[in-house]
Amino acid sequence: MPKFNLTINNKSFTVDVDADTPLLWVLRDELELKGTKFGCGIAQCGACTVHFNGTAVRSCSIPVSAATKAKITTIEGLSESGSHPLQKAWIELDVPQCGYCQVGQIMTAAALLEKKPKPTDDDIDKAMSGNICRCGTYPRIRKAIHQAAKGGKS
Amino acid sequence: MKSEVQNLGIETGYEVNTSLNRRDFLKVSGLAGTGLFIGISLINTNTAKADTHSTTDNFEPNVFLKIQPDGRVIIMAKNPEIGQGVKTSLPQIIAEELEVAWEQIEVEIAPLDNRFGAQFAGGSTAVHTNFDTLRKAGAAAKEMLIQAAAKKWNVRSDQCYAKAGMVYKSNSVDKFSYGELVAEASTLPIPENPKLKDSKDFTIIGKAIGGVDNKAIVTGTVEFGLDAKPKGMLVASIERCPYYGGKIKQVDDTAALKVTGVIQVIPIEASDNPTMLVAGVAVIAKNTWAAFKGRKALKIEWELPAGSVESDENLKNQFEKNISGAGQVIREDGNVDSAFQTCSVVHEGIFEAPFLAHAPMEPQNYIADVKADSVDVWGPTQVPGRVRSIAASLTGVAQEKINVRMTRVGGGFGRRLMADYAAEAIYVSKAIGKPVQVVWTREDDIQHDFYRPAGMYKIKAGLDSNNKLVAWHIKASTTSRGIFSNPNETNPSRTEVFPDGFPAGFVPNFKMQYTPVVSHVPRGAWRAPGHNVTAWLDQSFIDEMAAIAKKDPVDFRLETLGKEDKIMPYRDHGGPEYSTKRLKNVIQLAAEKSSWYAPAPSGVYRGFACHFMFGAYVAEVVSISWQESNRFKIDKVWCVVDCGIVVNKSGAINQLEGGVIDGLSAALNQAVHIEGGKAKESNFNNYSLLRMKDAPAVEVHLVDSQENPEGLGEMALPPIAAALCNAIYAGTGKRVRKLPIDLEQLTDS
Repeated sequence: MPKFNLTINNKSFTVDVDADTPLLWVLRDELELKGTKFGCGIAQCGACTVHFNGTAVRSCSIPVSAATKAKITTIEGLSESGSHPLQKAWIELDVPQCGYCQVGQIMTAAALLEKKPKPTDDDIDKAMSGNICRCGTYPRIRKAIHQAAKGGKS
Repeated sequence: MKSEVQNLGIETGYEVNTSLNRRDFLKVSGLAGTGLFIGISLINTNTAKADTHSTTDNFEPNVFLKIQPDGRVIIMAKNPEIGQGVKTSLPQIIAEELEVAWEQIEVEIAPLDNRFGAQFAGGSTAVHTNFDTLRKAGAAAKEMLIQAAAKKWNVRSDQCYAKAGMVYKSNSVDKFSYGELVAEASTLPIPENPKLKDSKDFTIIGKAIGGVDNKAIVTGTVEFGLDAKPKGMLVASIERCPYYGGKIKQVDDTAALKVTGVIQVIPIEASDNPTMLVAGVAVIAKNTWAAFKGRKALKIEWELPAGSVESDENLKNQFEKNISGAGQVIREDGNVDSAFQTCSVVHEGIFEAPFLAHAPMEPQNYIADVKADSVDVWGPTQVPGRVRSIAASLTGVAQEKINVRMTRVGGGFGRRLMADYAAEAIYVSKAIGKPVQVVWTREDDIQHDFYRPAGMYKIKAGLDSNNKLVAWHIKASTTSRGIFSNPNETNPSRTEVFPDGFPAGFVPNFKMQYTPVVSHVPRGAWRAPGHNVTAWLDQSFIDEMAAIAKKDPVDFRLETLGKEDKIMPYRDHGGPEYSTKRLKNVIQLAAEKSSWYAPAPSGVYRGFACHFMFGAYVAEVVSISWQESNRFKIDKVWCVVDCGIVVNKSGAINQLEGGVIDGLSAALNQAVHIEGGKAKESNFNNYSLLRMKDAPAVEVHLVDSQENPEGLGEMALPPIAAALCNAIYAGTGKRVRKLPIDLEQLTDS
């Protein structure tokens, strides 16, 4: 099998997998980075969201062969000890229900805040509508994004 | 107690009497007796004092909590956590009576162990069922700790008190931490009827407490079933017969076996019981992607089941025939036929509801390690007890040697009351002689679900000359889920319609009839089973009658319920009765909070609905505005609930917001269509769920109540579709008689 060099959370990895293996499964099965979730496999739900050179992308739809030259960030690398303002806001506002979609939500929201530090509700609609929450935590997600944008004050 | 769980059609897997060895019996006072499905009794084991030889230095007066000499307080979360918040709320109950600060405790998932009583997630029962038991568990431990301190000080117990993990001597600076009392407390007898706190003294119950797993969730470190695969474990992906009730005709696995990483391919024969194994071919591989790829390379010919090929069309023909015909009479008060003769107005409508998929965010998956004389299984399930029973029946290993570990569950909604995917993992592990994780794709999940039943309903109602509702006749026909799980089910209507539901009992002439439709399409419990359709029907049609009577929809419901407060019988889950006072209260509160009686601004339209379910009361108002002539936006929802005592204020509101959004999502977008004997929909591109941009603001109000706590996981969902449809009527003058909502297919009313 071919080898691929990846840069994930500022660390280098080499994996021995088929070229068409989605980055999602490389992260989960080869590298044991299980924070990134499998939800649909066709980039419809956002549970697999990671950062690809800072842009939020769906790792289920990126073959490993296309990921070798990018700086990839997963939830594990988003912050030291879970202290990103979004993670803090998520905890303060008790956002999660089942929790399965939340990593994807946070990764998408983090990319949004990098580009738009003070997003409007419309910005949030546009950026976040690719992430499904089956449990319906959307009102809390929206509130948490606003709170994180305000520097953690509600 | 047994019958309460069975009414839900939930098989928890606790039929088997498992005997405990004597040491376990003495060490731990809690015991789930034979046939005890719900709850657990604390037994006063005076003998424990003399004979206990604990294997640890911990204080463990019951299965629910341990206090270590170093002061750590560990509380066990007994039920599967599927997002409904019980991993937090059930420990809250224990912590309250134990008199520890919330910050002092650690919560661990309990193992599947009969000593906990029934461990399942279903019917919104956990808080209601476990409230007293868990309070007693915490209170008993606290009393023993107080007694231990009293002994050490040589005073009476009533001269001491406990607070935040410490025992104090009254009028003194003397104190002990719980950790310091562990050894002494472990020698004491366990009080059978400990004194419980007054609810006005609660400092944990009733507060907004963040979920215990939140930090782990937001850092991606919490363990869902899919995450629980150890490195190196094999993965299986199964190509299942797409035709419900079908079989394998022929398999060519040559190409599949050539795919890198694929180890083995094995056929799976369908079980006789359609809630267990479906015909399929399993590809076992070294990792998930290889298993998926190998499966794509299979060449399989399938055989449809005997009989006519199933489709929406042939189901609809059967529904139509049934609702025009007679049907089993479920309830009959007065005489609807003669009443209709004398009514001033008689109005009729036919409603249609589709199959719905559950689609929890975490696709189905399960791990099994079947050995010759023991079995280890773990993964996401709502019924770990049922998984254990299935493991025993598939492997022949005794239940005592079967270890079921619960992981966090990425959404349940009733899907994971079925353990078919666990059966698959057990079957495959046994066949290949190795541990394996079975992983479902999203397509598998949407196409091999146990759907919310489809059905048609004809409702006819009549008003007298005073515009009072005097007659109501409903004929229902659905693909009953009761008869799917059990072909010998004697009461197929039990899971589909509720004879004591409003307006039954408030209308002098009432008749309810039901006819099931037999189908291979798999059906199961979907959030608020039965109610997720009946509340839509009842609250839509009562709204139609209100409009005909030219009365305000809220007033019409209040009039129909009557000025006098009544206790009405409710002979189903959530009963045995309900209070019209509590129902009218949430109705009036919802009207108040939404400014219902004030005219809506131009272009804004509102709809109302209310419901009693599973012991609790809900009233909702939906406010919409029209964007263009054929598009509307849901701006806001008010949700008022009386569920008795609220354990976790934040968790409660989260559940209600979630139920509202789930119900709106289903009403707006969701249906699974059957054609050619199989499902058409396959993934989120054609089975649409509500997204951020369409999610309204939700304002929740919880009635302040000291009544017994009732569950909220399903509560907000049933009436929301009707509230939305009634808002659409306000905006268009037309009715929604078919779900999901299609503005091109509204009915003139």
